[in-house]
Amino acid sequence: MPPAMEPVPAKPLFYDLALNFVHFPALPEKTDEGSAGKHKGTGISG
Amino acid sequence: MDGDKADPKEKLLSNAFLDLQRLGQNGEYDRALKVTNRILQLSPQDENAFNCKIVCLIHLSKFNEVLQLMQRQAALSKDLHFEKAYCQYRLNQTEEALATVEQAEQSYRIKELKAQILYRLESFSECLSLYRDVIKNTHDDYSDERETNLTAVVTQLQHMNVKNDTV
Repeated sequence: MPPAMEPVPAKPLFYDLALNFVHFPALPEKTDEGSAGKHKGTGISG
Repeated sequence: MDGDKADPKEKLLSNAFLDLQRLGQNGEYDRALKVTNRILQLSPQDENAFNCKIVCLIHLSKFNEVLQLMQRQAALSKDLHFEKAYCQYRLNQTEEALATVEQAEQSYRIKELKAQILYRLESFSECLSLYRDVIKNTHDDYSDERETNLTAVVTQLQHMNVKNDTV
């Protein structure tokens, strides 16, 4: 005889959000982007 | 190999990193992985390339490979707590994942991952307070999903009939 059926609660929806934050590190000194504006903080009068 | 060859090598590396950045932005992790391998052949101790390689492997669902690689390259892996814990979490090494996040600096992505780990460990009270902290202090595109997770935690707490004065 199979056991009697009984209701079980539905598993709530639960997202894996952490995967969205697995990303490359900032790659500053390896690319040329930073070099042109390197001293952008310096004023024209020095 | 000597000083005279340094310049073309630098050029190759800087081009490879430009490729990597573009491939990462486009989510082309299989191609990006090949670029990281090329960089690491030229420059085996490059932390950025190693970090990128780990990220590629995670997006390609090669979680075991990440953990093995981190074991072989302990020095390069020492700051990659989030990535390590994420792989442990996906491999159902949940207690180990919790230990790893507890070693890490408490950024919001670490807190987000810790909340998911605590959910799986059914530590719903602690999970709830962590979600409240994360929800209050993050402003990104995932707030709907995060609210859904919060609802799941509250549902589980109610279902477990936990006496809980913090709610």
